[in-house]
Amino acid sequence: MENKRNSQTIAEYIKNWSRKHSLFIMAYGTGCGAIEIPATLTSRYDAERLGIRGAATPRQADVLLITGYLATKTLKRVIRVYEQMQDPKYVIAFGSCTINGGMYYDSYNTINVLEKYIPVDVYINGCMPRPEAVIAGFQQLQDKIARGEADNGTRYKENLEWYRANQHRVIKNWRMPDYNW
Amino acid sequence: MLEKEQKLLEILKSAFQVEGKVIRNRRVEIWDHKEMVPAILLMVKTQLGYKHLNHITCIDWLEEGKFQLVYTVFSHTDKLTLFVKTKIDRDPAIMPNIDDIWDQANTYERELREMYGIEFPGLVGDQEFILEDWDEMPPMRRDFKTDVYAEKTFFAQPGREDAQDVRETITKRSGEEIPEFAKKYSRD
Repeated sequence: MENKRNSQTIAEYIKNWSRKHSLFIMAYGTGCGAIEIPATLTSRYDAERLGIRGAATPRQADVLLITGYLATKTLKRVIRVYEQMQDPKYVIAFGSCTINGGMYYDSYNTINVLEKYIPVDVYINGCMPRPEAVIAGFQQLQDKIARGEADNGTRYKENLEWYRANQHRVIKNWRMPDYNW
Repeated sequence: MLEKEQKLLEILKSAFQVEGKVIRNRRVEIWDHKEMVPAILLMVKTQLGYKHLNHITCIDWLEEGKFQLVYTVFSHTDKLTLFVKTKIDRDPAIMPNIDDIWDQANTYERELREMYGIEFPGLVGDQEFILEDWDEMPPMRRDFKTDVYAEKTFFAQPGREDAQDVRETITKRSGEEIPEFAKKYSRD
């Protein structure tokens, strides 16, 4: 029988409900889109009423925002941050640069398709997305969590070799720690 | 008008036999061989009061096979900006090091070494400056094909199959002709 719980057990339903209402975002801005985050979080758009707020370290955070273009140097740091985050972890990608490279599609130092390097839950298009669009993206992520479909942390672990192969294409001199999640 | 500028140009011309001109109010440029540039810069710094090195810029003249280096210096007493220009060979690109005149020149020269492959003999500093693990041709050289490199290294997002040529779609809808000058931009 289909119901609001979408065939989840009571425990899963409660778990997902509480997760979706406390999204702590990693205080890490890449590219130009980071300037939209203060506007989203502060009093005018007030994302905190949806449970969205900042977290200081990767281990405290649930959501990693990739706000705009990603240089190859930054990708290295992003991968380290993403691997240090604990499950459940979600990635929201901002702007056209993370989708197809945007205006930097032929640049020698920015990656084009973010999804090839880390799994992405929600894309927000625009260059740059306004805070309304950012909040809409967060709500989409919340819906996904409530349906129990946001399990990209597991997907990353299962397909680690594929992701690693793509990452090695960009980061030639690999001096990164291995994590045993 | 332009008395300060003309006077500076006269001093430099008599001291070094350089060529030069007054560009406009508060802008003077001179050009000379690369061996003379450190001497000119030392002289304008110590004797004429051009104590502020604004910038070292490189321009790639690929067709001539030359790099042009522009040293921009500023005088806080005269309020004049002086451009010292020189052209060096592209291959091998070697330029005298001036970081004993201005310490901050070290940063600019390291950037030029990384981005254009210009060697400065005696330059101290890590070979790696901004780029990480770069093993290709210096990327700011004009013969470095950045789109080819991007295609080789990164993944391209396939375009939408229903993507339309904006100009043609609009002209078809409105029944207008595409103007002659715009036809070369059409897809077919």
